[in-house]
Order: sequence, then C-alpha cells, then structure tokens
Amino acid sequence: MKDIVSNSIHTSGLPLRPQLSKDDLIQAGGLVLLAAGLLTAIFLPLYVMLSKSFQDAEGNFTGLENYSEYFGTPTLVTSAQNTLTIGVVTTVLVGVLAFIYAYALTRSCMPMKGLFRGIAMVPILAPSLLPAISLVYLFGNQGMIKEVLMGQSIYGPIGIVIALSFWIFPHTVLILTTALSMADARLYEAAIALRASRLRIFFTVTLPGAKYGVMSACFVAFTYAITDFGAPKVIGGWYNVLSVDIYKQVVGQWNFQMGAVVSVVLLFPVVLSFIADRIVQRRQIALISSGSVPLEPKPDKKFDRIMLAYCMTISFILLGILAVSAYASFIKFWPYNLNLTLDNYQFDLMDGGGWAAYQNSIIMAIWTAILGTVIIFSGAYLIEKSRLFSRFRSVLQFIAIIPLAVPGMVLGLAYIFFFNPTKFNIPFTGIELTNPFNFLYATMGILVICTITHYYTVPHLTAVTALKQMDSEFETVSASLKVPFYKTFTRVTFPVCLPAIMDISIYLFVNAMTTVSAVVFLWGPQTHLASVAVLNMDDQGDIAPAAAMAMMIVYTSASVRVVYGLLTRGIERRTQAWRRRESVD
Amino acid sequence: MEQEQKPYLQIEQLSKMFGTFKALSEISFEVFEGEFICFLGPSGCGKTTLLRCIAGLDIQTSGSVIQAGKDISVLPPTARDFGIVFQSYALFPNLNVRKNLAYGLENRKIKKAEIENRVQELLSLVGLPGHEEKYPAQLSGGQQQRIALARALATWPGLLLLDEPLSALDAKVRVHLRHEIKELQKQLGITTIMVTHDQEEALTMADRIVVMDHGTIAQAGSPVDIYRNPASEFVADFVGTMNFLPATAITESNIRLGELEIELDNSAVKMTPDQKVTLCVRPEDLLLGQLSDQPSNSAKVAVEGLEFLGAFYRAQLGMEGFNDLPLTIDLPPNIIDKHEIKVGAELAVIFPKDRIHVFSVS
Ligand SMILES: Nc1ncnc2c1ncn2[C@@H]1O[C@H](COP(=O)(O)OP(=O)(O)O)[C@@H](O)[C@H]1O
Ligand SMILES: [Mg+2]
Repeated sequence: MKDIVSNSIHTSGLPLRPQLSKDDLIQAGGLVLLAAGLLTAIFLPLYVMLSKSFQDAEGNFTGLENYSEYFGTPTLVTSAQNTLTIGVVTTVLVGVLAFIYAYALTRSCMPMKGLFRGIAMVPILAPSLLPAISLVYLFGNQGMIKEVLMGQSIYGPIGIVIALSFWIFPHTVLILTTALSMADARLYEAAIALRASRLRIFFTVTLPGAKYGVMSACFVAFTYAITDFGAPKVIGGWYNVLSVDIYKQVVGQWNFQMGAVVSVVLLFPVVLSFIADRIVQRRQIALISSGSVPLEPKPDKKFDRIMLAYCMTISFILLGILAVSAYASFIKFWPYNLNLTLDNYQFDLMDGGGWAAYQNSIIMAIWTAILGTVIIFSGAYLIEKSRLFSRFRSVLQFIAIIPLAVPGMVLGLAYIFFFNPTKFNIPFTGIELTNPFNFLYATMGILVICTITHYYTVPHLTAVTALKQMDSEFETVSASLKVPFYKTFTRVTFPVCLPAIMDISIYLFVNAMTTVSAVVFLWGPQTHLASVAVLNMDDQGDIAPAAAMAMMIVYTSASVRVVYGLLTRGIERRTQAWRRRESVD
Repeated sequence: MEQEQKPYLQIEQLSKMFGTFKALSEISFEVFEGEFICFLGPSGCGKTTLLRCIAGLDIQTSGSVIQAGKDISVLPPTARDFGIVFQSYALFPNLNVRKNLAYGLENRKIKKAEIENRVQELLSLVGLPGHEEKYPAQLSGGQQQRIALARALATWPGLLLLDEPLSALDAKVRVHLRHEIKELQKQLGITTIMVTHDQEEALTMADRIVVMDHGTIAQAGSPVDIYRNPASEFVADFVGTMNFLPATAITESNIRLGELEIELDNSAVKMTPDQKVTLCVRPEDLLLGQLSDQPSNSAKVAVEGLEFLGAFYRAQLGMEGFNDLPLTIDLPPNIIDKHEIKVGAELAVIFPKDRIHVFSVS
C-alpha cells in the first residue's frame, strides 16, 4: 500500500532466515559442542564396538562368523537364557515387594513413613557387590544361617536374585510411590459410593491408575537386573550371565571380538525394554494432565498395622544385609576367630589398589559430580531454552536419553575399543588415522568421561524437569531488556534451579562411588578404584577386606548425603523469602 | 487526521507456518505512534504468534515488520526495541522488586544513583512506592503485574507489547488495572500492542482493535466501529451479543424474514434476489413499537422468557409466523415496568433499518 515499503516486503518463496544475535551464536556453539561430545562419548565407541563384532582378532571383516560361533557355543547361549531368567524372576520379586512397600507409603496411615522412605533408599549408597558379599556371609558354605536355604546353594540364581532385589529395590520403590501418589481421590470416592469392596477397588481403580508406573518400574528393574555385573560376579558361582561373560571373554581370555558379540546380545533386550519404557512414559504423561484431586489415605487400624509390620520386615532385611557386611568387616577370621579387628581396613597390605583406590574413587566421584553437573545442566539448558535451532535441539534431546539404554559393561568395553588403539583404519578406504583420544586411555579422565556418559540420562531429565518449571518467558524478557542470556542463566536460572542442581551432583557422586560395571575395563595401574578393589579382593578370597572396602563406599556416600541434606536445608532457609509457592493474592 | 501521521509499525503480508499449519496468513496493518492497539480473537487464532513475530521471538515465514522506518523482519529480539509483559508476569523470583526493575538498566553502564532514581520513578509510576525490597512471591497478582509492566518500561522502549496481561487476575483487579494501564499508556504516549481474547478489555482499552480469526485479520477499526459495524458474521458474533436470523433477499435493499419484509438502509453485501442471507441485529438495537401502529420493519412477537441481568432485562421473543426463531431484546427495567412486560405478553418489535447488518450465507 505505501510505496516506501513495498519493495522491502519479504515474499520470496523460501522461508525467512532469522539473523543470528550474539546470544544465538553462543547457544549454537554450545549445542554443537554438546552434540560433538555426546557423539564422541556414546556413538563412536558403540560404533567401533559393533564393527569389532564383525571382525576377527586381526581386524579382518568376517561377517557373521563371530555370531555363528557364539550361537554354536552352548555355554554362551545358556548364559543368555540364564540372564533372561534372572531378569524376569528378579523383576517379579522386586516388583511385588516394592509395590506393597510403596502402597504402604502412599495409601496407609502407618507411622514413621519418612523413616521407611529413607530406609528404602539405603541400597543406593552401596555397590551391588555388597549385598552379594553379605549373602555369602549369611548363606555361604560357612554362612551364619545357611540352614534357612535347606540345602540349596546361595552361589547361583538364588543369590543373584536376592542380591539384585536388594540393590534394585530403591529404584522401583521410587517409581511406584510416584505412580501411586498421583491417584485421583474422586475415583475412589465414586467407587466407595458404589459400595465396592477394598479388593475390588484395588483391582478396578488402584491398579489401572498405577498401570504405567508399574510397567515403567518393571522395565527399569528388568534392565538393571540383566545388566548388573557386581552381584552375579560375586555370588553367581557356575551360573553364567551375559555381563559376566563379557568380563570373562575380555579380561579372562582376551577375546575382545567375542566380548563385543556378547555385548550386542546383551544390548538387544535392554534396547527393547528401553523403547517399551519410553512408550509407557509417554502414555503416563498424557494421563496426569487432567486436574485431579490428591488422595488422602484414611486411617484403618488393621490395614495400617499390617502395612507397618510389612515395612518393618523389609526394612529389617535391607538394614540387616548392610549390617552383615559392616559386621563382617570387623571380624578377624570368619567363622573361626570372631575377635573384632581393624585389620581388614589395612587395604595397603592387600592386592586391589589399597587406600589409593579409595582415594581415587573419591577424586573420580568429585570430578564426575562437578564436570557432570556443569555439562549436563548447561546442556539441558541449551536444549530447553535456546531461541532457535528447534530441530537440532529435539535431536539432542533424544540423544541425551540414549545412555539409559547402554549397559555399563557394554559402554566400558566400547571405550576400550575406542580409546585403546593408537590408530584407526577407516573401513574400505585403507586410510589410517591417529586416534586423538588415545592419550586418555587408563587415565582418570576416561573414568570420569565414562561415568558421566553412563549416568547422563537421569540427571539430564532432572534438569529438564526443573527448567520446564521455570517461566519460559524469562529468556524473552531478558532479550527485550538486552541482557545476554548467560547473565540470566547465572543470575536467575542457576539460583532458582539450585536444588535440582544439587540433586544432580549428589546422584553423580554416589553413582561414581558405587559403579563397577563400566569402569571395570577402564582402570589402570595408576587409577585403581574402590569398587573395583572390592571386586578384585573378593576374587582373591579376601572377602572380609572386600566387605570393608564396600562399607567404606557406603560410609562415604552416606556422609555426603547427610552433608548434602544439611546444605539443602541451609539453602532453603536462606531463600525461603522467594521460594514460597503461592502469592498473597 | 490519522491518515496524515506516519505509521510507527508496519506489518506487511506477514505469514507464519508451523510445519504445514498456517498460523498466520498474509497479515498487513499499521500502527501509529502513540496508539493503543488490541489484537482480539478467540484462543488459537494466532494473536500470540503475531506478537512474537513483532518481538522477533518467532521469525515469520514470509512478510515484513517495519518499526520506525527500519526493516526489522529478521532481527533477533535483542536487536529490536520493545518491552514485553506476559500473563505469567515472568518476574525473576529470586530477585527483589528493585533488582527486577534494575535488571535491564544495570547492563547499560548507567550510574548506580541514576538506576536507583529510575527504579523510584517506575515504582511511583505504577503506584507501588516502598515495595522495592519485596520479592515477587510476597506481592499480590495485581502488584506483580504492575511491577512486570514497570520492568518492561524501565529501559524506555519505543513499543510496549502485552500478551494477555490481565487474564490471570481476579475480575475486580482486572477491571481496575485496565484503567491504570490505559492511563499510564496515555501519560507516556508509548505505542502499545495488547493481545487479549476478552472483548470487553479490547473495547474499553484500545484506540483500535484488530479482530483476528484463524490467522487472518477479520476486521480492524475503532472499538465503536467494530461494535457498530462488524465486517463479517464472525466479528458480529465474537464482539458483543447478536441475533442471527436466516433470511432471503428480495431486492438489493429488501429482505424477507419469515413472513416479514424488511427494508435496509444499505447492505454490506451485494445481494441478488432469492439469495440466502443472515440478518444480524443487536438485542439492544431492537426497538419496542405499539401493536396498533404497525410501523414498517416491525414484527408481532410474544415474550417467552425474561431474564434479569442487573442493568437491563434480556427477553426471549417468539415471532409470529416464524417458528422457533430465537430472538432476544435488551430492555431497561423502567420500560419493563412501564409497559408491564411479562412472560406471555404480546409486543411489536421494530428492526431499525440503520442498525441491521446483512451477511451472505456462504
Ligand atoms: N511453536 C508452535 N508450533 C506449532 N504450532 C504452534 C506453535 N505456536 C503456536 N502454534 C499454533 O498456532 C496457533 C495460534 O497460536 P497462538 O498464536 O498461541 O494463539 P492465540 O494467542 O491467539 O491463542 C494455534 O493453533 C497453536 O496451536
Ligand atoms: Mg495467546
């Protein structure tokens, strides 16, 4: 209409390209860096491992030969079946136990719920080796109460399932309490008005309501059960499972190719379970969005008493298993000399790395917590809050979830393949490349990188949740006020998300202390780790020192947790002026 | 008079696609310096998207945005000149009011004392002096929105953008803030665009309203214009209350409504005989006539329902010879009393020819 502007109308066929501001460029740089990092830390190693499974020891392409060898070896195929058996049995056992526990926590009026909630989380502080060691003391050849098993051996599936159930219990309880506390009181009122019995209500209202939570908990339990290495290594006896097979192939027989094949076989069910879990969680999210009225449990003397008794029993078992290792670590020579001693803590007198291993673990955990938190939180921020590049960001969002589907043993082995060689041959070209990452091999660096990658997803999701709860217009307002985004990040986003950030760092710290599976392939002469020391000492029959080192890990994780709790409370007190939820409208 | 002014903001042929979904299509309009514009339309019609294109938060797929003579179509928000307020306030929760207000100033190498002066000035501008130490969570919703407004104005922007700023507030606070924002805007003379789905808000606050429908402009004009002369059935329906009556064209200026023949002043649509049309008339524009007079454009009706709405009564009428025709009329209480109108009463209503709108049936 007006002449002055008609020539500047942007109406060419192509969509307009936004001009990039300095903020956009920095964000783009950050996103590219993150993508490159995730690519190097996850995909390249997995790719190299995958390709190794199709090669012979000299690196020649042999197609499916390794696989046919694998499936032609009965002992190896048996462990695949064993792994599935362990997975299913553990999932059912821990699923039922945790469901009742979570039900008691959310639907009864029993006393001391907070305490029981805390006790359920205790296993998180320990490596999965610890329950296995305790079970050896309880039910092993010289076990304290081995009669209970009525002649059955604890070394084998029974031991593995019990140890894994102990160790997986907290994760399952967490998911199930969340699922059960999302119930809509109106449904229950309607059911009661229809005079449905308690049992009927349970099957028609409670279970369907928690359906997705239960499924999600099962997938998580199954994945943990089939990928864990510590428990079957210590207490599996002759009962072979895939994760231990990988270890034996690689560390025992130096057959890296077969290790890669077993890894791929293990990867299979894990990926399936991962995909199923994703689908279920999407449904779950769709379910919550309706505005529901939270359910307040009503007192019921008999029911509350039964629930209390149940939770006390479970808590007794959880704490009991921990206590056995604690006690055993102070015994001179079980069961012949029951005098108390600190000898078992003289790690320097034993193989396994000594106190240096413990120190290394702490250093590793600190680095993992600091670097991991910085990378994961900034990464989540860039993915969640950048102005442009939405497609690139959603790809990254997906990549960040993938580590959840990679078992520690597989990641660890992939890292050997990726970081160990000094040169790479690019397939079909004959070109040789010097491996720029080789210098990391057998250093603290690779342990930190591997651990951050291994545990990337959960903290990433924590960060995303926290960021989503922040007003999406903070960035807009800052831009309109011409304040660069990184200033708003440090002045607003960071302080507001501090509780979530602390959650992330404590999660990384504790997992770095307790992890065995990924790092068991990656430690070097200078980088012994406490958790690996537990494994090696146990392997050599030094079971009491192994228990002692495992307890050192528990003490450390527990103290860090306590300090963290105090810190959080301090922060909450200092910021309560602005952290109050509701306004005084 | 406005034709002489130079437009401050020009939107030219602006379209925005989300994938294959066309959220905005070929939007063009102008905003003059100091004007208060409202984007009005039902939820999902693209108001926010248009505002975000103006702010640079989303870049349009095609078309231009020109502010103060400068083409800003593809510029990032940091390179544009605007202040913005959201329904959610978006106040930084961990910063007190003073720091929220100073947030954009601190980045501009302004002296501390000057910043403090500006903060005080802004606080008195929005009527909240003495609140500088409080955190957002310690303020009421209305107070938070005033602080958000002050923060948006802090850096002397040339354009103020408001996205449903009052929607989260109680009805009472909302009415009060309407006036305050309007007063403030007049006092500062700042060009302002406000997005709302609340027609009352748009009618009371705007100098000009842009009514939007499915990503297009349905009508742009002054509140009186939009209300009195809706350009389409959609606008007629969305703004205010309206009677919609199916009718048939007789000539260019005559239509048949049931058995009634109605004469029009002028029709917005070119009508051909026998064409199906919709007759629109507002309940308050219908007049009462004497049954005995038989004035032109009048129909005999029976009162079927009577609803007291405070300032007036709304009566449901049944028209003779026209079954189930929903027709409502608004009448002041004293007329109701005077004529002793109650359910069952028979009346004559007049369709004033200058207050009738006719739209063709598509
Ligand atoms: N980022 C987006 N991606 C896809 N669709 C969008 C996006 N933003 C808005 N839309 C769609 O564009 C339409 C207009 O949205 P919006 O401008 O927010 O409406 P309003 O503010 O008028 O309620 C809606 O149908 C909405 O679903
Ligand atoms: Mg909107």
